[in-house]
Amino acid sequence: MAAADELAFHEFEEATNLLAETPDVTTISRSDPRTPEGQVAVAVGSGGGYGAEDEVESDKTALLQEPQPQPGFWTFSYYQSFFDVDTSQVLDRIKGSLLPRPGHSFVRHHLRNRPDLYGPFWICATLAFVLAVTGNLTVVLAQRRDPSIHYSPQFHKVTVAGITIYCYAWLVPLALWAFLQWRKGVRERMGPYTFLETVCFYGYSLFIFIPTVVLWLIPVPWLQWLFGALALALSAAGLVFTLWPIVREDTRLVASMLLSAVVLLHALLAMGCKFYFFQPLPLEHMAPAHQDTSLHPNVVLTPTPPRPMITEGLRLQV
Amino acid sequence: MNETDLAGPILFCVALGATLLLAGKVQFGYIYGMSGIGCLGIYALLNLMSSSGVSYGCVASVLGYCLLPMVILSGSAVFFSLQGMIGTVLALVIIVWCSLSASKIFISALDMEGQQLLVAYPCALLYGLFALLTVF
Repeated sequence: MAAADELAFHEFEEATNLLAETPDVTTISRSDPRTPEGQVAVAVGSGGGYGAEDEVESDKTALLQEPQPQPGFWTFSYYQSFFDVDTSQVLDRIKGSLLPRPGHSFVRHHLRNRPDLYGPFWICATLAFVLAVTGNLTVVLAQRRDPSIHYSPQFHKVTVAGITIYCYAWLVPLALWAFLQWRKGVRERMGPYTFLETVCFYGYSLFIFIPTVVLWLIPVPWLQWLFGALALALSAAGLVFTLWPIVREDTRLVASMLLSAVVLLHALLAMGCKFYFFQPLPLEHMAPAHQDTSLHPNVVLTPTPPRPMITEGLRLQV
Repeated sequence: MNETDLAGPILFCVALGATLLLAGKVQFGYIYGMSGIGCLGIYALLNLMSSSGVSYGCVASVLGYCLLPMVILSGSAVFFSLQGMIGTVLALVIIVWCSLSASKIFISALDMEGQQLLVAYPCALLYGLFALLTVF
């Protein structure tokens, strides 16, 4: 191909921002980035196109193809364009979420207007699963150190974790997207992100909590708080850097309120997970001083009679 | 992969149940339930990710045949308890083996290059559930 140079990946940050700010230059319509591109990607097959290559392709093929009617959202083919990613693309997006850089918006730089649902879906599933497993493991490990603690497998934690994480990953982006759409009138230069892009970067931002949750198994309280703070800082920084180009044109008050609301919700999620799944088990024989009365405690620290031996035996049959 | 052969997979599921029975766990219901729902999930995912569709029988067939190493794991559980370090390591190796072979067959049959790890990960989660059943 003649455009071989354009296909090489160049680090053009200004160009990326300019392209985003003047969307008329690109051949993709802002409101519906999927239609011509999604079909081009499927037709080409590997779907590994970035930036310049996509625009060149869609220029040519848009002339050759007739615009096909959008499949309804109840069919598989509607969602197929969101799963059209390679392993390398997913890994690149995960790395991008782990190391946020100021001035690099995750959506413009890594997603390049091609959000995928594979990453967010599996990251949320893994996070929910890991939360439930490590929540149970902390009690098992505590029991090994202190045999008076009574442990029974808490399978409802999987459900709670799943529902919490998925609700957060879908409802918060929905609210954020709705708010940004409402404020669209204030912005002239750059269009807001589509709903799926918002879901996408929220999903990828949750990735850093997976190793953090595993590290929370270490029963040293200050270390747990340190890891939590670190993960929250990285994740929230990623969100803020991604949202900054959108909100900086708004009034100061609205911009600062929005960003602080986003960071606050993220912090609430992290702390909620820490407290619910990792109730700190005191080393002494004291009752757990924990606040959430709606949760039934999974730890009974009063000295128990020999009954647990029988229940242990019964439990192994499960 | 036009022929869908379910005799082998069903035989392996029964073999898994039998070896678990030898270790004292009666869990046929869980095995059939998890296989059915897991196959459904992988079927949905593969239809979304591949450009050509895939039939449910094909998915069930491939996942069933790749369950064989899990039968080996549960067979070994008869002779020594898997709840120690060696059991954990063995279970992890078996899970990786199962999911890599399943994803390799899916990739070659459905012509999805560059997506092997993306397909292997959900298969690993499914086989991980089977391993949990075997170990605990």
